[in-house]
Amino acid sequence: MGMKGRVLAVFAGVIVIAAVAVTAAFGAHKADPGVTSSSILIGGTFPLTGVASLYKTIPGAEKAYFDYVNDHGGVNGRKITFDIKDDAYDPSKTVPLTQQLVEQDKVFAVFGSLGTAPNLATWSYLNQNKVPQVLIATGDSYWGFSAKKYPWTIGWQPDYPGEGKIYGKYIAANTPNAKIGVLYQNDAYGKNYYAGLRVGLGAKKSDIVSAQSYDVTQTSLAQQILALKAAGADTFVIFATPSPTITALVTATKVGWSPTTTYVNNVSANRVFMQLAASNGASLNGVVSTSYLVSPTYAPQANTAGVKLAKAIIGQYAPALLPSLNGGDANVVYGLGAAWTMVYALQHAGKTPTRAGLMKALKSLNVTDPFTYPGIKVQTSPIDNFPIEQEILIKWTGNGAAGDWAPFGKLFSGVR
Amino acid sequence: MKRFSVAHPLLVIGAAVIALLPFQMSGYHTGLGAHVAIFFIAILGLNILTGYTGQISIGHGAFMAIGGYTTAVMSHYHHTNLILTLPLAFAIAFCFGVLVGIPALRFSGVYLALATFALAVSVPQFTLKFSKFLGGSNGLQTSTTKTNAWIYGVSWSCAAILYLVAWLVLRGRTGRAFRAIRDSEVAAAASGVTLPIYKTLAFGISAAFAGVAGSLFVIATNGFAQPNEFSVFLSLTLLIGAAVAGLGSLWGILVGAVFVALLPTVSADVPLIGSSHGQDVVFGLIVIVIMLLLPTGFAGLLQRLRSLPGIGTAVEKEAGG
Repeated sequence: MGMKGRVLAVFAGVIVIAAVAVTAAFGAHKADPGVTSSSILIGGTFPLTGVASLYKTIPGAEKAYFDYVNDHGGVNGRKITFDIKDDAYDPSKTVPLTQQLVEQDKVFAVFGSLGTAPNLATWSYLNQNKVPQVLIATGDSYWGFSAKKYPWTIGWQPDYPGEGKIYGKYIAANTPNAKIGVLYQNDAYGKNYYAGLRVGLGAKKSDIVSAQSYDVTQTSLAQQILALKAAGADTFVIFATPSPTITALVTATKVGWSPTTTYVNNVSANRVFMQLAASNGASLNGVVSTSYLVSPTYAPQANTAGVKLAKAIIGQYAPALLPSLNGGDANVVYGLGAAWTMVYALQHAGKTPTRAGLMKALKSLNVTDPFTYPGIKVQTSPIDNFPIEQEILIKWTGNGAAGDWAPFGKLFSGVR
Repeated sequence: MKRFSVAHPLLVIGAAVIALLPFQMSGYHTGLGAHVAIFFIAILGLNILTGYTGQISIGHGAFMAIGGYTTAVMSHYHHTNLILTLPLAFAIAFCFGVLVGIPALRFSGVYLALATFALAVSVPQFTLKFSKFLGGSNGLQTSTTKTNAWIYGVSWSCAAILYLVAWLVLRGRTGRAFRAIRDSEVAAAASGVTLPIYKTLAFGISAAFAGVAGSLFVIATNGFAQPNEFSVFLSLTLLIGAAVAGLGSLWGILVGAVFVALLPTVSADVPLIGSSHGQDVVFGLIVIVIMLLLPTGFAGLLQRLRSLPGIGTAVEKEAGG
């Protein structure tokens, strides 16, 4: 190469390097995926079909809330697009769908994905790729306890062990001499609840006269309930998913056991399930559970801002869900509440929202979500990765299937 | 598979395409490609059973579950290398296949279908029964997870290896015995084919293939094994894939695998009726259309194309006479 050639080569090299540097510099200032000047794209996986499809009202309500926000200025001027994917509660579908959201649709964040197993399946993938996995719809405590290892994941609802703790604390404080009989599902779900109960009872865990477990594959719980009855328990605690809970309530009544108080966990306490139990012969006298959401059916709460807003939003943006809301389906309120928290966090995620900004906002929350029970604060901090930890106890009042949940007492905290 | 030699150049081209695809695709699409390989292996196994010995199985999802959980358990508790769990899954699923094949000797036709259906329903329940060891509804995760590119490479390598295994098994005495059994059990027995051994062997081999597919399936689900992944619908999906594939053609099985692995994703994006229920509607409609137009599956279509004058002789010439 002659002199001229060499100069040309150096010149070309400089231009290439400059071009790369400039592109890199622009790249560094490029917004996170999913964010444009007028929109934010988020997505999640939900069981719209399949065994868990009764939860499909949750993404429906969430979308209604986002539509409402979009009509009222959006998030600092940006409209939220919510991509709802159906994984039918099957982790082998959740993984490809989540990859599609992240790599093909390029969402800003994965929001509200439902189910412990589906979220466990995508946990490491999302964190490795630094994609926010936020306000996920599951009450397991894994996410809350793993902030260091999986910093991009955070739940929303109160966790199961915390809820079990609340029952324990309440029993220890109000009926310290109770004889407790526990029926729990023989897997992580039931065992975590039971462990929480024992922690909450503290010294009073000696009140537990019998603890019976059952396999989720069993259809009859008669053996366990008869054992609890024979042990002389006057307080019945049920840590089960909805179907076995209904079976347990019906069986207890049928074998002639009437404990003074029956504790049913929040997941299984939806009004629909209680009505089903009552119509199958269960006595719902003295059934207690917890809640952390406003009730659309409890008369004294009818004028709460949250209830009025819920009815207005669902009525306008998701009228198909209105009958469920008015019938007391807590899942609709759940969806609105989680979406409210998401919008709040997005508003505080930076002028141009960034993923890191979103996580920072979610880990420093201290705000009141209007769809949660009055008095509850959504709070997080570097050492507290559980947004909602407070719950109110609710008692079934009224006649059998025509009754409803009524809150009583003061807010309890499941703080670990 | 009789015409294996005919497709030589096409095979090489196909292999090259498969090998080069991941470099052009995103991780997500590579993952879909891996799922095609996984279904390829499972449908290949089902083809050996249903296509070659005529024994119907709507329960191969159960064998996939057995293979999948073998991988999950070995990796989770013993940190076994994921590749090593594959032959282990093959062996364990083979044993289960033989165990199922023995009582299955008494059944045929729709009764065998029902018995295998019961298997498909009950096997995932075991993971809930022994939830402490098998993870229950919260599933069980392998100790390491792999990238989609890795999974793609391993899945297609397994597909190639297992296709070779199937080809070797089916071209020899065993294959002839299988075909004899399918065509007429009485004639086969009269010709000296020991029915129980070959029928059970077919179940075992077929289950072993499904076991490996199940292992790769779990690895492709971020290493997560959970009962909902192995529902009854998985078994039905495999059967649909085998029906679309037809009998005796490598390309047929590939088409069947592509069909069941990709159609649900594609149909979810169909406008108007797309997403959630629309997906099932589109999928179902296409299955019905294919069954009406191609009752012998894609393999049957290929055979008819080959028997067309002109194409048939050209193909014969290529095969070297």
